[in-house]
Amino acid sequence: MATMEAEGGGGGGGFPYWTSVRRRFDPDSAFFSSGNVERELLAKQVALDITEDERYQLQNLMDEESRGVFCPIVGCGAHLTSLENFEDHYNARHTASCSVCSRVYPTSRLLSIHVSEAHDSFFQAKVARGFAMNECLVESCGSKFKTYKARQRHLIDKHKFPTSFEFYKKALPSRKQRQKNQRKQVTHKKEVAPSAMEVENEAVDELVSAVSKLSTSDSPTSISFGRRHTRGLPFVPRAIQRERT
Amino acid sequence: MADDASLLRRDPIKSSVGNVAAQRRRRQAVAVGKERRESLVRAKRFCRIGVSGSANGEGDGEGDGDGDVSPDIDMVVDEEQSVLEAQTSSAVEELKAAIAYQGKGAMQKRVSALRELRRLLSKSEFPPVEAALNAGAIPILVQCLSFGSPDEQLLEAAWCLTNIAAGKPEQTKALLPALPMLIAHIGEKSSLPVAEQCAWALGNVAGEGEELRNILLSQGALLPLARMMLPNKGSTVRTAAWALSNLIKGPDSRGATDLIKIDGVLDAIVRHLKKADEELATEIAWVVVYLSALSNFATNLLVKNDVVQLLVERLATSSSLQLLIPVLRGLGNLVAGDTNTTHTLLLPGSEVTDGVVKVVVKCLKSEHRVLKKEAAWVLSNIAAGSVEHKRLIYSSEALPWLIRLVSSAPFDVRKEVAYVLGNLCVGPTEGDARPYLIQEHLVSLVGGGCLSGFIDLVRSADTEAARVGLQFIELVLRGMPNGEGLKLVEREDGIEAMERFQFHENEDLRNMANGLVDKYFGEDYGDDELAG
Repeated sequence: MATMEAEGGGGGGGFPYWTSVRRRFDPDSAFFSSGNVERELLAKQVALDITEDERYQLQNLMDEESRGVFCPIVGCGAHLTSLENFEDHYNARHTASCSVCSRVYPTSRLLSIHVSEAHDSFFQAKVARGFAMNECLVESCGSKFKTYKARQRHLIDKHKFPTSFEFYKKALPSRKQRQKNQRKQVTHKKEVAPSAMEVENEAVDELVSAVSKLSTSDSPTSISFGRRHTRGLPFVPRAIQRERT
Repeated sequence: MADDASLLRRDPIKSSVGNVAAQRRRRQAVAVGKERRESLVRAKRFCRIGVSGSANGEGDGEGDGDGDVSPDIDMVVDEEQSVLEAQTSSAVEELKAAIAYQGKGAMQKRVSALRELRRLLSKSEFPPVEAALNAGAIPILVQCLSFGSPDEQLLEAAWCLTNIAAGKPEQTKALLPALPMLIAHIGEKSSLPVAEQCAWALGNVAGEGEELRNILLSQGALLPLARMMLPNKGSTVRTAAWALSNLIKGPDSRGATDLIKIDGVLDAIVRHLKKADEELATEIAWVVVYLSALSNFATNLLVKNDVVQLLVERLATSSSLQLLIPVLRGLGNLVAGDTNTTHTLLLPGSEVTDGVVKVVVKCLKSEHRVLKKEAAWVLSNIAAGSVEHKRLIYSSEALPWLIRLVSSAPFDVRKEVAYVLGNLCVGPTEGDARPYLIQEHLVSLVGGGCLSGFIDLVRSADTEAARVGLQFIELVLRGMPNGEGLKLVEREDGIEAMERFQFHENEDLRNMANGLVDKYFGEDYGDDELAG
């Protein structure tokens, strides 16, 4: 297949900077397939009376057959017939956003967990009284924990999350500014209890600094997945197995 | 095949004829639709009208519309198909009888029977190949190919075999027993029409797949076919070139390396590229495509013999999509395959180079998606050369097109254009060091509005595209003066696009995106805005 850009920028963990290299493709590479299809269609066109319409359809069919994209968002695995559909799918399914702090989550369940943990004073009250309120992020697990830290431990130990994963990532300050300008576009996916709305931004920030462990530094936040073959686990990367680069 | 037959058979016993019939028609329509699609994209070609000079009168084998065969190419209805199959079976039986017959007029009988079978195998979109095979056509046709047979007989038999081989994989494979004889008859001693028809059949067999190609090569098909390509003109040359392009397409490179070494082939290629009509030039161009893709040795020879210049001239003067596709691709393969080509031949400032860029840009401007995509690919490889090459493209008329295309073209075109633009912004790769930035180009491209196109690529579900987009964003963030890059990326919703990767399953992309967000849009970003 094609010789892609060499990994620049040093060893693993460094950013793979753009490198300008020649790319060569084998004759049976997918890169050339639409041209090959075109060749055969044109050769048969007059004899078989292929209409413009049919040619267009055929090209698209060939593309889809070799592409058939799977949604790469964690736990989704939805099959999309074309790349063009992906954006619509993403906007429809993966933009659950918090009406209080405008963070966006890829599933409504995660959004719900976030809202409870970050904006709900009843939730905080129960935590203070010793109830196990922090749910495991993996849907089918069902475990609950008394502290954020304990749940974090569980995610790392049991579900193989990377040690740098932060569910409660500090939002970019600029985001508040940006969202002020876009308030109308924010979708209200979760009904926030009135008392939660009273939780001031300052209180949230205090909560953030108390809870967050890592600063936004070199280690990237990331999610990876423990089990691969079980159904129903939201973080199973089925799409990784099917995805063709 | 059994499925098709059962779809087509009427079932008189079932009641509610209307519903059953409607369902059957629908299934049949789907089956025919799928079959049609598959047959349309095969690298095989039916012979409907016969090779020129054949008993059937004028017309080269394809698409001419002349000749006495009316293209009966509508969707075949139940009765017609089963009648056709029955007729085919009897035609094969007739032929068997004719072969067995030893008396007076035996040859005429044989040719008549062959002709009847050939006619049945040449009409309609889906000739009754299966019926012919089931009736035992292959052994009998092989017999008709025996040495010393009259030309008419050889021609008709080869024609039948051509069409049997033009369909589904199993049908093509059925020709195995016939291969040695077909190869034997493309020698110099055969009459031209016979040789051409046999070459056609072999071309179909080669078009089936790697396994059959290797068998043909082992049986020695390459040399005689190559020789057929040497004369100056004639439909035989064209058919042979087409068959060769199928034969050497690999993925094994031995066909390609062997072909270029045959005496006279290189010269013929050069000659045809220079002077042949567009139809012949098209097939020759495809031969060049496979030679240049599979054999470095061939690439070197082609470049040394000025093939690049010939390809450029064809691109400049032709408007036939059929010709432009392989010529452009051949040029692309030559540029991609060999550092020598870009460094020694395509010297920036030379006439050759200017010519190349000009015709490639012409293809970039074409309305055909394939041409646009592959033209961008060629440009990206030229832009991967020296700084002078980058300057050359940057100051050419390609630039405004590229900037426009990265936002507005179909996805596969946009991705290739992105490679061109990115390559223009970084210096040549030297060892492991991070390439330096060509700020002038970057500023100009971003100023021209290309950033949104890259951010769109970041949002796509295609891993390669997202990676390319993120790499370019990194250049913008790092390389734009006065930290302008950050504001620009934000304005185009680039931060949003990158934050999507927090929950993306590809770890590399996650790390890339998160790394950028953490580094450039970290805690301090936007502080001055809030304070103000």
